Amino acid sequence: MENMPEFTLHRPDTAEEAAKLKASDDSSRYLAGGTDMIVNVRRGIEAPETMIDLTAIGEITQIAVDGDGLRIGAGVKLADLCVHADIVAKYPAIAQAAASVAGPTHRSYGTIGGNLCLDTRCLFYNQSQWWRESNNFCLKHKGEVCHVAPGGKRCFAAFSGDVAPALMVYGAEVDLVGPGGERTIPLPDLYRNDGMDHLTLEKDELLVSIRLPAPPAGSLSAYEKSRIRGSIDFPLAGCAVLLTSDGGQLSELQIALTAVNPFPQMVKGTDDFVGKPLDDEALDAIRDIVRTQAKPMRTTTVRPWYRRRVVGALARKLVMRLASV
Amino acid sequence: MKSYLSLQVNGRQRDDAVSGNLLLVDYLREVVGLTGTKIGCDGGECGLCTVLIDGKAQHSCLTLAATCNGKSVETIESLGDGGRLSAIQRGFHEKLGAQCGFCTPGMVMAAEGLLRENPEPDEETIRTEMASNICRCTGYVKIIEAVQFAVEELKSKKEAA
Amino acid sequence: MDGNGTPPSPVKSIGVPLPMVDGPEKISGRAQYTSDFYDPSALAGAIKRSTVAHARILNVDTSAAEALHGVHAVITGSETDEGHGVLPISRTELPIAHDKVRYRGEPVAAVAADSIEIAIKACGLIKVEYDELPAYFTAEEALSEDAIDLHDHREGNIERHVEFEIGDPDEGFAEADLVHETEYHCAEVCQVQTEPHAAYAEYDGERDELTVRASTQVPYYVHLMLSKILKMPKSKIRVIKPYIGGGFGCRTEALNVEMITAMLARRAKGTVRTVISREDTFITHRGRQEQTVKIRMGMAKDGRVTAVDCKTIQRGGAHSGYGIVTILYAGSMLFAIYDLHHVRYDGKRVLTNTPPCGAFRGHGTVNTRHAFENAMDEMAEKLGLDPFEVRRINLIKELGFTASDQWINSYGLPECLDVVERASGWRDRIGNLPPGKGLGLGCSHYISGASKPVNWTGEPHATINLKLDFDGSVVILTGASEIGQGSNTILVQCVAEVLGIDPSRVKVVDADSRVTPKDNGSYSSRVTYMVGNAAIEAANNLKGVLMEAAARKFEVSPEDVECLGEVYRAGTQDEGMTFEEVVMAALEGTGTITVKGNFDTLPESWGGKKYRGAAIGGTMAFSYAAQVVEVTVDPNTAEITVDKVWVAHDCGKALNPLTVEGQIQGSVWMGMGQALTEETAYHDGLLISGNMLDYRVPTFVDSPPIETHIVESNDPHGPFGAKEAGEASLAGFLPALTSAVANAMGVRVHELPVTPDRLLQLLEDKEREMRAATAAE
Ligand SMILES: Cc1cc2nc3c(=O)[nH]c(=O)nc-3n(C[C@H](O)[C@H](O)[C@H](O)COP(=O)(O)OP(=O)(O)OC[C@H]3O[C@@H](n4cnc5c(N)ncnc54)[C@H](O)[C@@H]3O)c2cc1C
Ligand code: SF4
Ligand code: FES
Ligand code: FES
Repeated sequence: MENMPEFTLHRPDTAEEAAKLKASDDSSRYLAGGTDMIVNVRRGIEAPETMIDLTAIGEITQIAVDGDGLRIGAGVKLADLCVHADIVAKYPAIAQAAASVAGPTHRSYGTIGGNLCLDTRCLFYNQSQWWRESNNFCLKHKGEVCHVAPGGKRCFAAFSGDVAPALMVYGAEVDLVGPGGERTIPLPDLYRNDGMDHLTLEKDELLVSIRLPAPPAGSLSAYEKSRIRGSIDFPLAGCAVLLTSDGGQLSELQIALTAVNPFPQMVKGTDDFVGKPLDDEALDAIRDIVRTQAKPMRTTTVRPWYRRRVVGALARKLVMRLASV
Repeated sequence: MKSYLSLQVNGRQRDDAVSGNLLLVDYLREVVGLTGTKIGCDGGECGLCTVLIDGKAQHSCLTLAATCNGKSVETIESLGDGGRLSAIQRGFHEKLGAQCGFCTPGMVMAAEGLLRENPEPDEETIRTEMASNICRCTGYVKIIEAVQFAVEELKSKKEAA
Repeated sequence: MDGNGTPPSPVKSIGVPLPMVDGPEKISGRAQYTSDFYDPSALAGAIKRSTVAHARILNVDTSAAEALHGVHAVITGSETDEGHGVLPISRTELPIAHDKVRYRGEPVAAVAADSIEIAIKACGLIKVEYDELPAYFTAEEALSEDAIDLHDHREGNIERHVEFEIGDPDEGFAEADLVHETEYHCAEVCQVQTEPHAAYAEYDGERDELTVRASTQVPYYVHLMLSKILKMPKSKIRVIKPYIGGGFGCRTEALNVEMITAMLARRAKGTVRTVISREDTFITHRGRQEQTVKIRMGMAKDGRVTAVDCKTIQRGGAHSGYGIVTILYAGSMLFAIYDLHHVRYDGKRVLTNTPPCGAFRGHGTVNTRHAFENAMDEMAEKLGLDPFEVRRINLIKELGFTASDQWINSYGLPECLDVVERASGWRDRIGNLPPGKGLGLGCSHYISGASKPVNWTGEPHATINLKLDFDGSVVILTGASEIGQGSNTILVQCVAEVLGIDPSRVKVVDADSRVTPKDNGSYSSRVTYMVGNAAIEAANNLKGVLMEAAARKFEVSPEDVECLGEVYRAGTQDEGMTFEEVVMAALEGTGTITVKGNFDTLPESWGGKKYRGAAIGGTMAFSYAAQVVEVTVDPNTAEITVDKVWVAHDCGKALNPLTVEGQIQGSVWMGMGQALTEETAYHDGLLISGNMLDYRVPTFVDSPPIETHIVESNDPHGPFGAKEAGEASLAGFLPALTSAVANAMGVRVHELPVTPDRLLQLLEDKEREMRAATAAE
């Protein structure tokens, strides 16, 4: 028998009921595919008294046409996202990002909702109870200091979900349901730059779906991640790019990053490249603004130096490839 | 608090009362007594515990047994062809897809899940679609040959039928 | 005789790609590994581990744990004062630390309880008071002047300093046209066999007897250590090795898991089952040490190596383990691959406050071979020579003894080189590859069993019993440990071949100390060679018995009996007797037949006496391998893709080409892991990478096609000419990889693993230098 802490499991069949249960107990947690949550429970990082399993909620498992765009239920499995015809055709970065998550088995039951609400990661945090105790815990959980930046009071654990940046470049929004009803916010607003508390989700809110507007006419997009192994590896850095170009000039450029900050982020200043020739100098400048906005810290076994270099290299490579310069 | 779990394990109906925190792998190995499914890591990293749930590969070490209510779970013990090895199992035997055999139950179930969905995968697809499973003995070379053997065998069986 | 009148012929088993005899059990989930043993009454064992790296233990308070409902036994370091270890001279590791802990994760107490939850809770209630000492996480720190000693009997934290000089290195360097020095650093790596460690111990209070099942490669060593630690007569202990999920060397010594489980069972007076986590399996370690290798090499213009000076330092971890053996191998295995005459070696094995290292596949040789092959390539480049050319000119000219007195009786390396050169298209492709692509070559070798056993008892190296009874099946009783390498299959083939019978008639009962003859275990690639030879002798003895029985029935002399495997006859016209009839004849008057076969090494193979410890490296046969690796490097991200590997391995005679191929592929691939992705990382001695996410074992998509070629040099003493097949091909991958990357990108990475960050750093440095150079012009 593997060691498992005790909790009470609920299996609601509506989103509203799930949110209500969530509110009933401060320590309660949602459980979707469980590919992150159960790992964390087994490591003693999460110790909920109430576990709310979301897999019985039918209403969040659909991908539906929504006006010109799409609406993706939070319970949709990553494997289904990878092969969905509309997504592959119109939102290829999402299909590519989803296909790069963990391994095929993880994707067959891991959900997009879980991917977006993934806890931030750090090599001092994603460890066993004995390990963290031996290391006097850390700010993010039970401890007094951050081992990454010992002087400070901030946590730099990196958000390492692959799909968020891919959704962001298309201008995705998310629908949240709480006891007070439903609200829709731009996906970037779901996050804040704080490794300890990176989700703006209220304690009793549930992410139910993601809305995608129609992609800009003629736009091209892609996602790529850096990792040591080709499978079962979180991104060291991930980059999504969407652009439209005509005649060697960009008319739109969106870049979003993951795994290089406590939150997935849109790169600022990409508008500056619109309407200008996309030459080597511009490509280098794109690489450099990405590098300055990425602030990886020593949260992985691979040095932050590389993650910063590579995220710029990925952005440059993707822009070059998509604009075929 | 226990909850009622009613499911099919390898085609047989079972009804049990289980705690909410019971992992499927522990349910299978210790409650049902099917020890073919193995545990190789502390959660989600090796694929040794792979079983099929409603026909799809899933890690039984990250799945709560209670969430399988009403579902069908298949383990390595379900495979076989009239008391003999199934085509995939035969591939693993003849082509030496198993050395120490500890990754094999999970590996075979991952292959089973793959071939049900895609009966004729090319080498690239076999690699990407089985890449949640780690083997430390074979370098994967002969596992791929084992799956390819099964693909051929199943194809000729289908043609014969 | 069949209907056509053609006599049956003996069944061929050797050289046949027979699937493993225990395949169906493993593939159907029926095979029982240690963790598959359950008994409703079994207690769960759990180990409490040290949270600090180096400290005196002042007090261990177990009272709260003992008071917890459901707890049946709590033990601490005071349970035994007997140490365990590999060499009789360094058995100083305690299964549970007593007055001192020396690494983070060392056991400090253990509990047996009704459930794992209770056991873990009880561990949490045990209070350990530590008086912390300075801790050393690198060899350098442990060697520093003011460092305190981890062990009283190891001054300066040096487990062993090996120094030797063979030939006249100074003269050799004087002879050289080019002298070059280079340094390589290899990260620590782990075996990560897929089965986490487990033990299942049943204590019989009535008889004061103990039965232990454990995930081990060496049930006999476990038996010895249990007897020592528990102070129980060996006759009261029974050790059974169930199916084993790999080992690769981390289970070639008795581990604390099995000893603690046995102590718990005795204390709880019942059955205890301990299955440790993946993290704890990592911490139990016994992997390949972190190591720095400095090579100074002299080379003549034509590529001949005239002298070698090798200095190496190994970070051995907190206990001796195989340490002395490892540092000796690292020196002796400089020999017996090329024609070397002048060698100086200086190797230090250092004790540090990290988990203890051990005997990982390719034990002792891998890191030095990596540095050596790279040094050759670096010099070849300087001299404008092709890597194949350099290896060829250094090939051993004649069989016999090396300058270090190691004994070479077969040498297939020349052919291995020819094969991979041809197969990889090296001649046409090298120098003509597109940007970002490169090829590299590496050679390596290994022993087929250490000729002198660690525990010298005067007994033969290997013993096999064969049992033949009324049912006509031949049962092999062997203590050898099948751990997935296919040793049971090989033994079946050896016996079936000698008797000419169908291999399905031959069954194996293995590794149960109550039933099977003692065997030293599965390590140093000894089983096929040594136990295989014993099996052949046993089968010949059995055949003699059957021939005599047939002769009695035919009323001829045994020499006139012809054995056709399933039929014995006295003349070509004779109908003959079936195997079963001969068996019945043989049983007349004696009943069940048991015969025995032994194997012993020849004294010539015992290694030299030129320096203390020179016996380590002595073997009856060396295996050889050469491999070419092709890579593609992404210049933006420095990510390396291994496109393909061509490997040729000289295994003497491939008794089973299928399992030989499997072994070679597994070795090459494991070398790839060490070369590219695998390394342990510590934070103040805490293992950061104690999981299978941060410790990156290559996946399906990272793993290249491995084109495998078998070279058969037919060793004069090997079983049917066979040698080792499962280790030699590992080491060559590492230098082949760094050379391939150098070929692709013009930079050679001196640190393993070659992760993209290490490579990118070098690429950027090179670019900067080039820019500076052009700016200066
Ligand atoms: C070995 C391994 C490798 C991995 N590699 C990667 C990788 O490369 N890239 C990557 O992105 N991920 C990776 N993951 C993490 C994980 O598999 C995926 O991110 C997956 O998409 C998570 O989905 P899930 O349904 O399993 O989430 P769960 O584990 O069920 O949940 C994750 C978190 O989201 C919360 N949550 C889930 N659904 C909702 C909802 N609807 N509303 C609000 N909160 C919710 C949960 O409470 C929990 O905190 C890896 C995991 C493992 C074990
Ligand atoms: S960044 Fe600091 S506070 Fe955050 S998880 Fe890592 S060590 Fe803890
Ligand atoms: S046991 Fe490793 S993934 Fe489940
Ligand atoms: S066969 Fe041993 S791990 Fe795959």
